[in-house]
Amino acid sequence: MSPTNTTVDQNELMLSHVPVDLAILNSYDEAQEEGEPDFVVELIDLYLDEVPRIFNAIHEGITSDDWLSARRAAHSLRGSSNNLGILQMGVIADVLEHLTANHQIAGAELLLCLKNEFARVEEILLAERQRRMS
Amino acid sequence: MKILIAEDDPVSCRVLTANLKGWGHEIVVTNNGIDALEALQQDDAPLLAILDWMMPDLTGVEICRQLRAENDKAPIYIILLTALNSKESLLEGLEAGADDYITKPFDRHELRMRVQAGARIVSLQNNLRQRVLELEEAIVERQMAEETLRSMSLTDHMTGLHNHRGFYNLAEHHAKMTRRSRTKSLLIYADMDGLKQINDTMGHQAGSQAITAVGEVLRNTFRECDIVARLGGDEFAVLAPNVATPESRKLIERLRNNLKAYNDAGYLPFELSLSIGAVEIDHTYEFGIEDQMAKADAEMYRDKRHRKAQLTQRT
Repeated sequence: MSPTNTTVDQNELMLSHVPVDLAILNSYDEAQEEGEPDFVVELIDLYLDEVPRIFNAIHEGITSDDWLSARRAAHSLRGSSNNLGILQMGVIADVLEHLTANHQIAGAELLLCLKNEFARVEEILLAERQRRMS
Repeated sequence: MKILIAEDDPVSCRVLTANLKGWGHEIVVTNNGIDALEALQQDDAPLLAILDWMMPDLTGVEICRQLRAENDKAPIYIILLTALNSKESLLEGLEAGADDYITKPFDRHELRMRVQAGARIVSLQNNLRQRVLELEEAIVERQMAEETLRSMSLTDHMTGLHNHRGFYNLAEHHAKMTRRSRTKSLLIYADMDGLKQINDTMGHQAGSQAITAVGEVLRNTFRECDIVARLGGDEFAVLAPNVATPESRKLIERLRNNLKAYNDAGYLPFELSLSIGAVEIDHTYEFGIEDQMAKADAEMYRDKRHRKAQLTQRT
C-alpha cells in the first residue's frame, strides 16, 4: 500500500489541557516497596529514557516505509503514556498509531506534535522528580 | 504463584512487575514474544502468563495459538494485555485461546482481581490433575492387587467369588485408596437362612447347590467393580464402592428382588433366603474394615431376629 497524505488538525488533538495527570502518576506510590528506591521516580526515569528511543523508531519507520515498526513504537508510547497519566501524549500516540496502521504519511507531522508535547511533559516530570528527591 | 510477564514496553512492564511482586507473586519477565514462548514451553513454566498483545517477533495472540496447539502440557492461564479495545480484537484474542484480557492503561484493582481469578483456576486445574494422577495410580495398584490375589488363588472355589482373605485384602486396599475422599461405600454382610436344615434334610449336595445359587444371585445383583465374596460356610459379604445413600437402599432391594425371582423361577426344590446387614461407610473419616464388618454383622443378626419373629408370628 502506498502512503497517503492526510492533514492533521492539531486542535482536534488537544483533548486534554493537562499534560500529566499527577494523581494517576502518584497512585503508583501504592506499589512502593519498603526499603526500595522511590518507585514513581523509577517510572519517570524509565519513561524519559524510553520516549526519545520511541521517537527515533517512529521516525525511522515512517522515513523507511517500515510502517509496522512505526505502528508498534506508537502503540508502545500510547501504552506507557496512558499508564503514567501522561494523557495528551497518549491521545496523540493513539492517532499516530492509526495513521501508521493505514500507512499515512501525516504521521510525520504528528511526530513533531508529539515532540512539542513531550517538552512540556518532560518539564513536569522533572519537576515531580525533583520534588520527590528533595 | 509464578507468573510470566511478556511486555516490550519497559514502563508497562515495570508497573506490572512491581504490582505483582507486591502481591506476593514470583515474576519471570521477557520483553519479546519468542522468549516468552520459549519460557512457557519449559517443564517448570509459569502456569499463568500476562502477554502483551503487540510485541516484536511474535504477538501475544500468536503465542496463545501455539501454546493451545500443544495438548500434552499443563494448560497455562493466559491474560492478554491490550490497548486495542474493539470487540473484534478481543474476540480474536479469546478465540486464539486467551482466558482473559486486561486493557491498558490497567487499573491496579482490576489487574489484581483478574490475576486472582486466574490463579484460582490454575490451582483448581492443578488439584484436578493431581486427583486424576492419584486415581490412575489407584487403578494400577488395584489391578496389581487383583493380579496378586489371582496368583494366590484367593478365590472361593465353590462360588467363584472372592474368599475370606481375598475379600479382606481388596477391602483394605479400597479403604486405603478412598481414605478422606468424599465418596461413600456400602458394606453388606449376608447370612443364608436355613442352610443347616437343607444339609440335614436334603444332603450336602443340595447345600452346596444353595451356596452356589446365592453366589450367582449376588454376582448378578452387584456391579463388576463391587467386591463380592463368600467369607465361608453360609456367610457372604459385598463391598460396593461409590454408592450414595439412596442407591444403598435400592441395591438391597434389588438383592431381595433377585433372590425372590430366583425362587419364583423354581430352579431348586427349596427356597433361598438371606439375612442381610448393611452399613454405609463414609470415607471422610478413617475406618477399619474389621469394625465396619462387625457393625454389618450386628445389623445382619438384627435382620435375622426380625425375620424369625415374623416367621413365628405367621405360623
